[in-house]
Amino acid sequence: MSGKLVEAVTALIARPDIGPALIIGAQTLFSILLVIALWLLARALRLGGDVRIADAAHAAQLADAAITGFDAHEITLDRARIGALARNSEGRILLIRRHGARFVASELTSHAGIRLDRHTLTLETGDRQFGALTLDLGAEAQIWAASLRRLGVQGIPA
Amino acid sequence: MTAALLADLAQRAATSGLDIVPFAVPFFVLAIVVEMVWAARHNPTAYEPGDTLTSLLMGTGSTVAGAIVAGTIALAAGWLYAHRVATVPVLWWTWIGVFVLDDFNYYLFHRTAHRVRWFWASHVNHHSSQHYNLSTALRQSWTGFPALSFAFRIWPAYFGVAPGMLLTVGAINLVYQFWVHTEAVGRMPRWFEAVMNTPSHHRVHHATNPRYLDRNYAGVFIVWDRLFRTFTPERDDDPVRYGIVHQLGTFSLGTVAFHEWAAIGRDMWRAPLGAKLGYLVRVPGWTHDGSRDTSDMIRARWLEAQEDD
Repeated sequence: MSGKLVEAVTALIARPDIGPALIIGAQTLFSILLVIALWLLARALRLGGDVRIADAAHAAQLADAAITGFDAHEITLDRARIGALARNSEGRILLIRRHGARFVASELTSHAGIRLDRHTLTLETGDRQFGALTLDLGAEAQIWAASLRRLGVQGIPA
Repeated sequence: MTAALLADLAQRAATSGLDIVPFAVPFFVLAIVVEMVWAARHNPTAYEPGDTLTSLLMGTGSTVAGAIVAGTIALAAGWLYAHRVATVPVLWWTWIGVFVLDDFNYYLFHRTAHRVRWFWASHVNHHSSQHYNLSTALRQSWTGFPALSFAFRIWPAYFGVAPGMLLTVGAINLVYQFWVHTEAVGRMPRWFEAVMNTPSHHRVHHATNPRYLDRNYAGVFIVWDRLFRTFTPERDDDPVRYGIVHQLGTFSLGTVAFHEWAAIGRDMWRAPLGAKLGYLVRVPGWTHDGSRDTSDMIRARWLEAQEDD
């Protein structure tokens, strides 16, 4: 099978009337195969791993990295430590979540889209790329849900 | 004999251009494999398969986009050369001169790409990975041509530099920049760090730390940053965090390639008439109502906090 493929590719390359579109197409196909091979290698080597937020100090660092000078003073970690909620002294609230082997954060400015289900809180920041996130905050979920209501809707205080 | 062969090669490169990038691809692939093995042993989070896939597909798409528009760019350079005001001879020292000039033009382009949102919209995808590895080097733009980025590199044709020389030195410049995208190399010897762009200098360029924002635009020679006061050295007490000020949080190809263009469109649509153009030509992060931060504002806030401490 691979011999036939090599023959076909060789015949294709040898054609003097080969068009540039065909050359670009063949190069692109070959590139995509290489890309998939490298992606599979990265997976096989288990690169990326299973990153978690180590502790509150780590979450505070992540918050400061997202918004310079955020200075979080109240932090609750998801039980699996894949996300966190952080609040600073100005009352600004940051939602932190895992993204691959790194973390991203987005500010919560509205209580729209926030749903409480016993110990879990589902949050949306209004940023479509960031998406919705469900955090298991234990007993703290209800406390956060109550305080998040004070955000109002789209920046209008409740 | 060798000198004659080299002279012939140089002459042919000047006439038709010698694009070394395709020849470098096997080395790129091999280097990525080696770096992945290094990462598996020393730093497994240096790579993330989803991020790598996105970066490499951006590279593939960029190659396709480049191949489609190469003819138009060659025509533009050819037109300039046909109307040239002088002729630069093809000699060994003019090759060196053209390489240095092209690297300076790269510096100008790159600095503009970070300071003018129109150009940033095309360049931002290269910075949108939160990882810094050799696959990040291949995370290239699909929209460089419509952004007219090539204008920074072809103008010397009007002053008599053969378009083939520009293509050849531009390709060498691009290939050089591949290896600086790694965390596997710490610091190079001092003399090398003083003159050349290195992994350490370029890590700073990809950083989101306030200290490092919008610094080290160099392609091959770091001297441009030193000359124009945009140089900042990497510091061991301020480890680099990679990506962009507002991280994308997605590996979606469409988002990576086009998100900033879409954001410009939204901003211009919503902005009052007098402010619309600002969203296109002013610095990324600029808003007419001050509701977002530019890199200068972030750095100023950080410096203020440092002074308070």
